Amino acid sequence: MSQAIEDTTRPNGALARSLVGGLVTSLPVLVGGLLILNFAPTYYTFLALGAFVNLIVVVGLQVFMGNSNIANLGHSAFVGLGAYGVAILSTPLAMKKLSIPNAPFGFATLELDPVSSALLALLAVGILALVSGKVISRLSGVAATIVSLALLIIVHSVFLNWTDLFKGNQAFFGIPKVVGLPWMMAMSVVVIVLARLFKDSHWGLQLRASAQSPQAAAALGIDARRLRLVSWVLSALICGLAGILYAYFAGTISPKLFYFQMIFNTLAMLILGGMATVTGAVTGVIVLSVGLEFIRSIESGVTIAGIQLPQLLGLSGVALGVVIVLCMAFRPSGISGRYELDELLSRFFRRAK
Amino acid sequence: MLSVEAVSKTFGGVQALRSASLSCAAGEILGLIGPNGAGKSTLVNAIAGVLKPDAGSVKLAGNEITGHGPEHCARAGVGRTFQTIRLFRDLTVRQNVEVAHITCRSVRPDVAARIGVDRLLAQYQLDGFADVPAGTLSYGSQRRLEIARALALGPLLLLLDEPAAGLNEDESETLAVAIEGIRRDVGCATIVIDHDLRFINRLCDRLCVMDQGQVIASGQTEEVWRDPRVIEVYVGQSETS
Repeated sequence: MSQAIEDTTRPNGALARSLVGGLVTSLPVLVGGLLILNFAPTYYTFLALGAFVNLIVVVGLQVFMGNSNIANLGHSAFVGLGAYGVAILSTPLAMKKLSIPNAPFGFATLELDPVSSALLALLAVGILALVSGKVISRLSGVAATIVSLALLIIVHSVFLNWTDLFKGNQAFFGIPKVVGLPWMMAMSVVVIVLARLFKDSHWGLQLRASAQSPQAAAALGIDARRLRLVSWVLSALICGLAGILYAYFAGTISPKLFYFQMIFNTLAMLILGGMATVTGAVTGVIVLSVGLEFIRSIESGVTIAGIQLPQLLGLSGVALGVVIVLCMAFRPSGISGRYELDELLSRFFRRAK
Repeated sequence: MLSVEAVSKTFGGVQALRSASLSCAAGEILGLIGPNGAGKSTLVNAIAGVLKPDAGSVKLAGNEITGHGPEHCARAGVGRTFQTIRLFRDLTVRQNVEVAHITCRSVRPDVAARIGVDRLLAQYQLDGFADVPAGTLSYGSQRRLEIARALALGPLLLLLDEPAAGLNEDESETLAVAIEGIRRDVGCATIVIDHDLRFINRLCDRLCVMDQGQVIASGQTEEVWRDPRVIEVYVGQSETS
């Protein structure tokens, strides 16, 4: 019985167990965040804010990819829509006169408070997710992945070419900076717990089953399309929230932030950590955020033992590619494999007794 | 309980089912046999909603389920196992059964309360492996799990496609006892397809023999084995003449 794990589907206490599991998974994030908040210089706080945004995106990605086993290459479209949503709605009018004076539908003269803006931006993300999800949920495998990529390209093209509303490839500045590290940490915990609750819910369990054997799932009365749609929309909303938080902490956004680089970074994080679990998403973000920062520090050339190494520009991109290739080749299930952190701890303490 | 009337199905130029009819009452175990390519699996797939028949009708407890799709048929009460085992290999044994029980709880809550996941696991000697990934079970245990999972659906009709394939004599006997237990405990109609005729004879109340897409004989086991058409299919023309 070496592979025995804590079961999460027993009706009694299943919800409480998932909740505790989600909170346990959040612990490393909270501890790291508190350490940075109290002891780290401003530069590292800024880096941490970026890492937290990535964390929320990757957890959002896990909600769809991890449960449906369908690769999603379009999630940064929702991050972008969330960010541009609050940018358009909450930027002060004086700033809008400079950035989007000709915005249609009265947006040039509209200024909402950050919370209302965030809710409306999430509504826009939800509507786009529902419409695109109707198509995606009918598909599986490569076809679904290609449609998600097409969605990314469409949304990016709209950001670039509808200059009156999105300001084209120029930076959209002046967004109120209302989010700091405490808010980012709180939202990360909420999102991690939410993802874990979904994974362990009836919907999550049936979706994971349908991903492993569609025929067997259909023979058990499971409507896989509906479940894929639910997870797609939830995933999109989480990614949209990440975009909103990013816009509110950075104050400036541009379309290229929400394109292939973000897709590649976050996918690498999820693959490295392990897409089957929420713990995997968290692990991948922590390991790769620290690793990439280290690589960036040596990209510009360092001196080791008196030897000056040359500039290695682009090393971080190479490292990301190598991580994906090595992980796929030698540990396709990622660092965390199939177990959540609380399940691993439970096994450890049971053995120790 | 189940009534299949004149079901036909053609794939390209090949007529896989030719006006096939059969019935199975609640609590009855019907053996569906025939040589390879006789149309047994096609008929089972038509009953389970995987294939839409070109003609004919399938009724379960008086409700028309012809060509309604596998999800609808499952919710209507058709539980099944597959010729090649199709478990959710990365889910635990308990989760495999739970997945089906969730559907049962939503469509037949009274039945779901009676079945219970733990009870099914114990009944099929799987309680000791409840928290183990299904893919790590032995072949015989995987077969038992597939049946337990189908039963967790609270079916009115259970379709078992070659349940004894790959099992040794002892495992087949254990399985036969378990299937007899279904009649006693669940009382659903059960159709068993298998090539192991000893297993079929030991288990089934009635037999339905198919050849070339047609039902060529059906009735009590002894009676069917005396039918010249069945003898011809199984023993050969020269032996019977």
